[in-house]
Amino acid sequence: MDIFVQQLVNSLSVASVTILIGIGITLIFGLAGIVNFAHGEFLMVGGMATWFMVGAGMNFFVALVFAGLLVGALGFAAERCLFRFTLNRPMNGFIMSIGLSVILQHAVIRVFNEFQKSITDPVGLVWTIGGVDVTAMRAIVVAITAVIVAITYFGISRSRYGMALRASVSDRDTAELMGIPVRRYVTGVFIYGSLLAGIGGALMISLFPITPFTGSVIIIRGFAVSLIGGLGNVGGAVVGGLVLGLVDGLSAGYGYPEWTDAYSLVVMILILVLRPQGLLGGTLGPKAS
Amino acid sequence: MPMTDNSAGKTGAAPEGVRARDRLALLTADNAAVPLPAGVQAITAILLAVLLIALPWLGLGYRFLSIAITTLYTAIGLYGLGLQFGQAGIMSVGHAALMGVGAYASAILSVQLGFGFWTSLPFAMALSAIVGGVIGLPTLRVGGQHYIIITFCFCALFVVVLTNGGTFTGSATGLDVGSVTPLPGINFDKLSNNYYLVLAALFLALSATYLIGNSRYGRTLRAIRENEQLARSVGINVDLHKLGVLMVSGLFAGLAGVLQLYYLRHISPTLFGAFPSLYLALMVMLGGARYLYGPLIGAVIVNFLPEVLNLDPVDSRIAYGVCLLLVILLLPGGVGAGIKNVYCAVRGGLEKQGGGTNGRA
Repeated sequence: MDIFVQQLVNSLSVASVTILIGIGITLIFGLAGIVNFAHGEFLMVGGMATWFMVGAGMNFFVALVFAGLLVGALGFAAERCLFRFTLNRPMNGFIMSIGLSVILQHAVIRVFNEFQKSITDPVGLVWTIGGVDVTAMRAIVVAITAVIVAITYFGISRSRYGMALRASVSDRDTAELMGIPVRRYVTGVFIYGSLLAGIGGALMISLFPITPFTGSVIIIRGFAVSLIGGLGNVGGAVVGGLVLGLVDGLSAGYGYPEWTDAYSLVVMILILVLRPQGLLGGTLGPKAS
Repeated sequence: MPMTDNSAGKTGAAPEGVRARDRLALLTADNAAVPLPAGVQAITAILLAVLLIALPWLGLGYRFLSIAITTLYTAIGLYGLGLQFGQAGIMSVGHAALMGVGAYASAILSVQLGFGFWTSLPFAMALSAIVGGVIGLPTLRVGGQHYIIITFCFCALFVVVLTNGGTFTGSATGLDVGSVTPLPGINFDKLSNNYYLVLAALFLALSATYLIGNSRYGRTLRAIRENEQLARSVGINVDLHKLGVLMVSGLFAGLAGVLQLYYLRHISPTLFGAFPSLYLALMVMLGGARYLYGPLIGAVIVNFLPEVLNLDPVDSRIAYGVCLLLVILLLPGGVGAGIKNVYCAVRGGLEKQGGGTNGRA
C-alpha cells in the first residue's frame, strides 16, 4: 500500500509538468488557433536555460522566473516573425513549427551539447508523512502548478480579458467589431503559453535530467493532454494531465513498463477518433484546412 | 503583410505597369493548376530521364551514388505523400512508419520464411497499402490537424511495437537481410545496378503520379481537397476516394521501404520513427506537393544540401529548419512553384518583347 501511495505521489509531480505543457498547448491551439509543434522545444529551452543559470550560481527559483521570461520572449518572437503570417492557413503554421522545433533543438546542441543535463535538487529536503517519503521539491512542483492552473482557469473563465478571448474564438468578426483587438490577444495567448512552457521546463529539470531531445518526446504528451481534455479547456487539460500522469506512473510501477509510451498513444488515438472534441468538450480548434 | 495571394490558376505573366511588390506576389504564387505546354513537359521529362540514367557514368564517386540512391527511394515514398497531400489534401507526419511497414514486412518474410526481394515485394507493398488505408480510417471522421496528430501517434506507436517485438522484429537492433536476388545477368550487389533498380521504381512512381494527376480520379481528388462538402453533394463518394488515395500512397511507401531495406541491408526502428517522418513532411512541403517534380526536388535538396555545403549533421538540420521557414513564408507552394513561376515570368516577358499579348503561360 505504501508503495502504491509512493507511486501516486511521484506520478502527481510528473503529471504537473505534463499539465503545464498541456495548458500551454490547449490555449495556443484551442484559443489562438496555432498548432505549435515547437512547444516541447520551448519547454526544453526553458529547462536548458535553468540548467545554465543554476550552473552559473543563480538560485533555482530566480532562474525559474528568468527561464519563464526568456521562453515567453522566444514565443513573442516566434509569433511576430512566423506564426502571424500563417494565421489563416493553420497547416502551413504547423509545418513551420516543425521547422522551428528542428532549429531550436539543434541550436541547443550547437550551443551546449547533446548530452543530458541535470541540476542537484534545489531544496534537498525529504518529508516522511505516514511512511511515505515526499521529496520537498516534488511537493513544490505540484504547488506551483496548482497556483498556475488556478490563475489560468480564473483568468480565462472570470476576467474580462478571458471573456474577450473566448468571444474572439467563437466569433472573430463580431469580436473585432466590438473593439476587441483579436490579433493582440492571439499574441498574448501565445506569449502566456510559451511562458508556461518555460516554467514547465525549469520544473522538469528540477525533477529529472533532460536532453535536447526531451522536447520532441514531451510534445506528443502535451498534445495528448490538451486533446483528451478538449482544446481551449484548462480544466480539461488538468484532467488529461492527471489521467496520463497516473497511467504512466502506475504502469511504470506495475504492468509492463516497456509499453508505458504505448498506453498514452493508444488513449490519445482512441479519444481523437471517438471524441474529437475531447472528454470535457472544448473548441474544435482552428478550422481544419 | 508579406503573405502572397495563393489562389491557384493565377496567370504567370505580369501585366504591364505592375508594382514590384505585385510582381513578387506573382513570382511566389501557387501556379500548380496552370498547365505547361505539352512540349515543355516532354522536354523536361526527357532531360531528367537522361540525366538520371547517365548519373552513374559521370564518375562522381561511390559516396555521391549512395546519396543518390537514398534520395531516389526517399522520393518514391514522397510521391505517395505528395499524392495524398498535394491532390487530396490529407497531410501525414507518420509516413516513415508506413515505409517501415513495408520494410519490416519484407525483412520478416525474409528472416522467417526465406523470401527474397522479388517475392516479398508484392506482399510488403500490399501490407503497406492496407495499413495506409486502416490508419486513414480516422480521416473520415476528423480532419486537418487532428488527423496529423493521429498519424504522428501511429508513428510513435509503431516504433514502440517494433522495439518491444522481441526476436520477431529484432527489437532495438533491428533485422538484417541478404542482397537483392540477382536477375539473369544483373547482380544487384554492384552499386550502379542497385541505383538502376531504384531508378526504375522511381520512374514507375513518377508515371503513376502523372497518370493519376491527369485522370478523372485525380480531378475528383482535387475537388475533394478544395471543397469536401461540395464534392459530396455532387455525388462523389468522398470516403472511398480518400481511402483509395491513402492506399495508393501506402503502396508507394511500401515500395520505398523495401528498396530502402535492400539498399541498407539492415533496418532498425529509429529509421521509421518520428524524425524521419517529419523530414518526409518537410521534403514534400519544400519541393511542392502539387507539382510533378516537387517531391523529387524536395528529396534532392534535403539529401544533397549537407553534402554540397559541407555541413556537419547539426548545422545541416538547422539549415533544413531555416529553409523550411523561408519556403513556407515566401513560397507556400514549395520550390516547385518557384521554378514554375520563374519560367512563367520569363516566358511572359519574352512574349511581351515579341509584341505578343500577355498570354497564359
